[in-house]
Amino acid sequence: MPSAPSKSQLLDPEFLAKLEQLELMSRRIFVGRMKGERKSKRKGTSVEFADHRNYTAGDDLRHLDWNVFGRLDKLFLKLFLEEEDLHVSILLDTSLSMDFGDPTKLQYGKQVAAALAYVGLVNHDRVRIDALGSGLSEGLSGLRGRSQMWRVVQYLDGLQATGGSDLAAAAKSFAIRHTGKGVVILISDFLDKNGYESALRYLLARQLDIYVIHVLSQEETNPELQGDLRLVDVEDGQVTEISISPALLKRYKEHLDQFVGGLRDWCTRRGIVSIFTTNRNPFDKLILDYLRQRGLVR
Amino acid sequence: MLMPSMIWAQSLQFESPIRPEAWAVLALVPLGILLLYFLKLRRRAVQVPSTLLWRKSLEDLQVNSPFQRLRRNLLLLLQLLAVGLVMLALLGPKTQGLGRQGKRLVLAIDESASMAATDVEPSRIEQALRKARTVIEEMKAEDLAMIIAFSNSARVVTNYTQDRDLLLDRLRSIKPTDHSTSLREALQLVAGLANPQKYLEPGEGAVAAAFVPPKLFIFTDGGFADVEGFSLGTIEPEVIPIGPPIEWSPQQGLPVAAANLGAESTQEPASGPASTVFSGPASDNLALLSLSTAREENRPDQLQVFGRVRNHRGEPVSSRVILYRHDPAMPGEPGNLIDAVALEIPARSDQAFQFELKADAPSGEFFVRLEEPDAMPLDNQAFVVATVPRRTRVLVVSSGNRFLTDTLTTPSSVQIAELTSIRPEQLDLPEQQRALQDGSYDLVIFEGVSPKVQPESSCLYLGALPPDLPADQGREVASPVIIDWDLSHPILQYVRDLGTVAVQKGFILEPPAGARQLIESDQGVLGYARSRGSYLDVVLGFTLLDGQKFNTNWPLKSGFPLFVYNCLKVLGNALDAGSSDRDLFSTDQPVTLRIETPADQIEVLGPDGRLVETCRRTSQGTFIVSQARKTGIYRARWGTGTDESTGFAVNLFNERESNLAPRGQVPPGLTDSQADAFRIKIGSTPVQSMRVDAPVTREWWWYLALAALGIVLFEWWVYNRRLSA
Repeated sequence: MPSAPSKSQLLDPEFLAKLEQLELMSRRIFVGRMKGERKSKRKGTSVEFADHRNYTAGDDLRHLDWNVFGRLDKLFLKLFLEEEDLHVSILLDTSLSMDFGDPTKLQYGKQVAAALAYVGLVNHDRVRIDALGSGLSEGLSGLRGRSQMWRVVQYLDGLQATGGSDLAAAAKSFAIRHTGKGVVILISDFLDKNGYESALRYLLARQLDIYVIHVLSQEETNPELQGDLRLVDVEDGQVTEISISPALLKRYKEHLDQFVGGLRDWCTRRGIVSIFTTNRNPFDKLILDYLRQRGLVR
Repeated sequence: MLMPSMIWAQSLQFESPIRPEAWAVLALVPLGILLLYFLKLRRRAVQVPSTLLWRKSLEDLQVNSPFQRLRRNLLLLLQLLAVGLVMLALLGPKTQGLGRQGKRLVLAIDESASMAATDVEPSRIEQALRKARTVIEEMKAEDLAMIIAFSNSARVVTNYTQDRDLLLDRLRSIKPTDHSTSLREALQLVAGLANPQKYLEPGEGAVAAAFVPPKLFIFTDGGFADVEGFSLGTIEPEVIPIGPPIEWSPQQGLPVAAANLGAESTQEPASGPASTVFSGPASDNLALLSLSTAREENRPDQLQVFGRVRNHRGEPVSSRVILYRHDPAMPGEPGNLIDAVALEIPARSDQAFQFELKADAPSGEFFVRLEEPDAMPLDNQAFVVATVPRRTRVLVVSSGNRFLTDTLTTPSSVQIAELTSIRPEQLDLPEQQRALQDGSYDLVIFEGVSPKVQPESSCLYLGALPPDLPADQGREVASPVIIDWDLSHPILQYVRDLGTVAVQKGFILEPPAGARQLIESDQGVLGYARSRGSYLDVVLGFTLLDGQKFNTNWPLKSGFPLFVYNCLKVLGNALDAGSSDRDLFSTDQPVTLRIETPADQIEVLGPDGRLVETCRRTSQGTFIVSQARKTGIYRARWGTGTDESTGFAVNLFNERESNLAPRGQVPPGLTDSQADAFRIKIGSTPVQSMRVDAPVTREWWWYLALAALGIVLFEWWVYNRRLSA
């Protein structure tokens, strides 16, 4: 059930030790894959030649191809493929529904977000963290280098579960503001009554590499409810009266499976990597084994 | 045209067994259930991250079964429905309509004296009631049953009813009586009640009365003659024999003679031929079958008590008969032992006994008891009352008629009558007038003279007219020839020679209304008899003497003394007064008492000294006691003095009733024709009955209650299923 996220939980030595471990692991993983390894489609300032074009006034004279000028007596400019930084955007769902479970899904999501941010930072990627609620709330952006990690932790610690979830609105606003390309990691429980499809479509439209981490709590995957209950939706206050019966529980689990499997299938079909986890799954294990398997971390 | 459902609704009636206050309480039950339900509806609120999946699951379940929405409230609905049905059942709905007609059962239960026999455990009547109870308990809800108890008469214990409790309750009220058995009475009652010859034709607005042939169960131990010449109509009889199983071997022959033995004349001794014929199986009973008193002709103060004992057992019995003198002051006690005689009674035959009483006992109440115990105690005792004989007091008013006075003083007449003669001129003397008016005489004979006032006694008028008739009524004729006379009238009993009687002068009479002609001549009526209150007057239209000459030759004929003797007996009640054991009655018949008392009302005390009945004098001057239905010595009392009461004895004395051999049971191993001899036969002519659908009152509460139970069970199932599904 909801529990207030505490600073210590994110910064406890155990967590930090795990992050250290992750750093070592990630170093090994990212050997030879430092900056410039990732080719950009943009033409830029890398060493790899791409094309020539006519010189126009104002171009950097350093890029003139003097050899061509010698032979043809014309000014051509050498174009190179630009090597760009990897933009890693982490979108963490902070709606009220995330504030459930022990640890809460939000807490779990923070740990995962912190870990992924850490991996990104040590790899000198540009890391951006935003919180998703009923809309997008801008978080940190343009982080690079492990020295920025304290900011990440500070920011994540400061996040509180609030408001309903409107994934579509949040994704739309992210897509509008974030024009660059890169990797988007969406951490959410996807319990949005309006569905998750339109939200993912907004992201897909940006041609982003999308990773979805679907977090549910143990209480949701295996509810231990009994008797006649009035269920109150924590986000919109909607009331549903149920009488727990084996038949209902069976149906619930079937729907849960459909929900989780539906998300996974939907994503797979569109080239989105989807990972399902519960809050009881250790986040480092998720990061190291699971993400590697899924290609999020190489 | 009404729809059938409307007809059904119109015929629906309600008859609630519970009172309105109880209804008010009952009406709270559904409210209570609703209240409990709403209390239960206050569900525990639980916050969840999202109701998304739950909603989907619920929708899914609801889509799966169209009654899911209902199912949420199913238990409530079922509870309300069950309570509703119970309440509806308590309203007692019933409909009148056509439908299946229940059976009609008539249970005729023998309550005669023999049913008290203890030769089966605990007694025959208990056995009969037990069997009747099983019949009642097997009744279906639509069946109707009627209970009839019969002995020498039959009575309805309950009319047709479906109420089994009532039937069982009334059944308990049946106790053995001291009466004989007459199945015919029972059958007549059943035929009258259960076999209506007329029923309403179905007409407009009227519902046809139903006729369902009833089934008659007769629980009896026999003790009656076969009922011949009786049509049971559509009744289906079934005899359920009561009593111990009969022991019979083919060597004994068939009980042909027994079937009709003593059928109608129970007083007839069963000696003689009965011993040569098999008279049915033996039974454990000794019975006193008669008891009477008599006086010796020459010693009228000597009283004899004699009677007869029948041994129904298969072996000889030695026993004693004990005579007690009953003390009227101590009702219910046997009295003082006077005498006893030892008896050796051969198997299945009779033995007479006699007690000689001393001269100091000319009258009294006697009780005789048979010492040997047997299965039927009732007939081991008998009662008799002997009274002092009293002669008829006769007054003759005549100018001297030797023939008349001589005839009244013959020895046989003197035994029963006491004669006083006066001349016509003495009639006006005050003491004579008084004597005539206070009932001092039983019979007054007027020859050729009429009194001024009718005396308080029966009268014989010879050549005179009663004073209340006009004097010119008689028309004098000469030499009327007697052509006809009424031999059946007791006054002319045995008087056969009136045809040879010649009359010189006579009066032709005009009989008043209600009079009965006795003698008719060629010129008109010469004699008639008429009732006057409790008295009887006989008027003859001729005198015996005309002056000193004969007016008729009748006194010389043999019929004349017979006529005078008849007059003493009939007009003077001589027979009743002279018989020593006149007060000997049967439990089967109402007791007719002729008591010499001016009182108009008597009180009858039973054998136990309690008041049984108060009787008024009938127009015949008698008292009829209908409630002397137990054996014993009764007292009729009209004052408080010792001489203002008289005793009379009531006995059973029924040979057939005392013969406890069960009838109606067929021993095994007989052919059908042989078995007929053991069966109880009821002559019957089958009558085709008209069967119609009949209106039946159908009680619906039973079905409603059953439905309520079913719903409760269904609810239990639903509840369990919800828990386990």
